[in-house]
Amino acid sequence: MNLITGIDVTSSALNAQRTRLDIVAQNIANAQTTRSVDGRPYQRKVVTFETELLRQSGAVRGSAAPTAVRVASIQTDNTPGQKVYDPQNPDAAADGTVTMPNVNLAYEMVDLITATRAYEANLSVAKNARQIAMKTLEIGK
Amino acid sequence: MSLIGSIGNLTPSPLQRLPGTQRTDALAPGIQALAPKSLAGLEATPTAGFGKIFEQLVNTVEAKQSDAANITKSVLLGQEGQLHQSVISMQEASVAFSLMVEVRNKLVESYQELMRMPV
Repeated sequence: MNLITGIDVTSSALNAQRTRLDIVAQNIANAQTTRSVDGRPYQRKVVTFETELLRQSGAVRGSAAPTAVRVASIQTDNTPGQKVYDPQNPDAAADGTVTMPNVNLAYEMVDLITATRAYEANLSVAKNARQIAMKTLEIGK
Repeated sequence: MSLIGSIGNLTPSPLQRLPGTQRTDALAPGIQALAPKSLAGLEATPTAGFGKIFEQLVNTVEAKQSDAANITKSVLLGQEGQLHQSVISMQEASVAFSLMVEVRNKLVESYQELMRMPV
């Protein structure tokens, strides 16, 4: 029994956008990290989404099955980072340059705003679905 | 409970006999002759009592509320689950509870309507 229809799809979208926000936070936090786990400068991560067919006993009827969204992969952006001359840095190479992470704060802020707006849009859908359910219950009044 | 239990037998809803269906009856008199038979057949076999259906509804609402409580607990303890899952499950439990209250209101209303019937 699912009273608020379509809420599973919205919930999966909220999950996906939440992951995207987490990855943006990770990118911004590591914007100056010159030594990550593998010893190289941090490489920014990119989230991709894919559709997921919801398996519900009652809902799957032919092509009308609801398709949710899930995180397909978290890939590494391999573009080379900026080289900064800083001989004092312990991570500097022999020629005195340090390879900075390839994180562009402007891109990350745009991604952050997009993910936040997408999250808000899905929240509105959830709110509307609940309102519709409550309005439907008012038929009998 | 026998009074309320008999409500379960009213499966052929009165709403189904709207003016729209009367027109088809006029077009095909054969269907009209068949209809009372099928209705009588439904009345002869006792369906599940309304009390049982309502009990299942109450159980479902209770399950939804305990689900919501569990998810909220795990979110608050930082174990697993996201914030929105907790809120959504709470809303779902709330809607299910409202539906249960609505069914109960309708039930009491129909009972009072019957009691008001002049004998």
